[in-house]
Amino acid sequence: MPSLHLEGVSKHFGGLKAVDDITMVVPPGEITGLIGPNGAGKSTVVNMISGVLSLTHGDIRLDGTSIATDRSDIVARRGVSRTFQNIRLLPEATVLENVLIGFHRREHAGVVANLLGLPAALREDRAFRERAHSLLDRFGLDEYADTEAGNLAYGHQRRVEMARAIASEPDIVLLDEPVAGMNDVESDELATIFRELANSGMGLLLIEHNVGFVTRLCKQVYVLDSGRMIASGDPHEVTRDPKVVAAYIGTSKH
Amino acid sequence: MIQFYYAYQPIIDFFLLSVGFGYSQQIALRAGVFSIATAGFAAIGAYTVAILVTKSGFPIAASVVLGMVIAGVGGLLLSLPLARLRGAFQAIATLAFVQIVISLLLYAEDFTGGALGVTGIPRVMNTGILLVIVAVVMYVMWSIGRTGLGRIFDALRQEESVAASLGVNIGRYHALAFILSGAVGGLFGGLQSLYVFQIEPHNFGFAFMVNVLTVVILGGRTTLLGPIMGAAIMAILPELARPLAEYRPAVNGVILILVITFLPNGVGDEIVFWFRRRRHAAAAANRAQAKEAKDAVTSS
Repeated sequence: MPSLHLEGVSKHFGGLKAVDDITMVVPPGEITGLIGPNGAGKSTVVNMISGVLSLTHGDIRLDGTSIATDRSDIVARRGVSRTFQNIRLLPEATVLENVLIGFHRREHAGVVANLLGLPAALREDRAFRERAHSLLDRFGLDEYADTEAGNLAYGHQRRVEMARAIASEPDIVLLDEPVAGMNDVESDELATIFRELANSGMGLLLIEHNVGFVTRLCKQVYVLDSGRMIASGDPHEVTRDPKVVAAYIGTSKH
Repeated sequence: MIQFYYAYQPIIDFFLLSVGFGYSQQIALRAGVFSIATAGFAAIGAYTVAILVTKSGFPIAASVVLGMVIAGVGGLLLSLPLARLRGAFQAIATLAFVQIVISLLLYAEDFTGGALGVTGIPRVMNTGILLVIVAVVMYVMWSIGRTGLGRIFDALRQEESVAASLGVNIGRYHALAFILSGAVGGLFGGLQSLYVFQIEPHNFGFAFMVNVLTVVILGGRTTLLGPIMGAAIMAILPELARPLAEYRPAVNGVILILVITFLPNGVGDEIVFWFRRRRHAAAAANRAQAKEAKDAVTSS
């Protein structure tokens, strides 16, 4: 299973250094955390990995191959999948259809087979539908399979997005604030799913505000503040680091 | 039945041609490209057939296929510059494409007959052939809808960034939508010229563009039923509103405004959506019942 390496990655918007020279690893089979206060540059990092934003400096490697200059659809086809901080579903499509799009990377029936409705294309579609239903079941969403995604409650929408992101069984999944706005029961359910995914070999990058959630799940945590990496390592130690505490709740020194 | 057919045959044929152009328009809109290029594709197909058949004695069927292929290639070429544009800018660029096609038809007089167009095209089209060809195109559209391709087009229309984040090559699928839009538009353009004896550039001008767009706006831009309903309204309405014949554009305008206001998805799409919602509600009720029964068993 491949791992994801960020090496000296920077993103400058004019004079603003949104992300400044950060280096980190997302290994397979583990949940890695990326935390930091608002505006620290977490989502910029996700957008650079997924090919939405270009890098100013540095390199991003998946399994040794640079993906730093790849377009976002190519990054996705290489096996790096993501969710969005501001949920992005196809609002007119049903929950099931939203998840089915997630299988695109695994589609093998060609365009002609699709246009002519050949058995190969239909068989593939049926197989994806079955897998989509079992994914929805896993996220407790199967009863909403035929509901238009735009009509779902917020927490459910987030879960649809996650089901879609993992549908094609990517190597690396970037989860941008997956438990934002969820209660403890819901986030516990998701924590279980995340652990199962990691156990199956996926590498998860968890971008979070919720320090407690990250501390429970992650082996390794990186802390961003104002675009710079101020700490990294074991979550329990990192969260006691005075620099991290200061970044989150302000410094006690005057 | 036979009498009905003879009385209304021109309307039925007009309806079938409109359905074809409607699908050409629909597939671009479904993929989220605000294209009005169908008029240009139709002109390419119509002139290819007219010129080949009248001037070189090319077999009719082969020239229809060739017109379709050339219009499809035209769609592919048009999709390249369009890839950099979105929304209203795409509409303007496709409008420019139609203008370029019409200008070329006017200027290449030796070849196209200029403003006078091409005359003496054999009238070989009839309702039966049109019906078969519409059925074939419908089958392809239906296949798109029930395989992964339709979902990709729908995703591109609703949220491009999501499609890209899941590995969809946006440029490739927009190009595919345009090739299909071009091929279907060119095909029905060719069929039209085999129906009307004579074609001229102005047949594919602004009025044509508005008519094709209206078919899809009235009918719907995602379902198979959409262009059928749209074309049916466009074909039947003038007959019903004969006393108002002088005001036909005004009547069309009023109906368009009413549909956009009260049935924004189009008449055909709204009908399909209504049945779909009913089916989903029934399925949800079934699931709830099954769950209740299961719970009752486990608790007793």
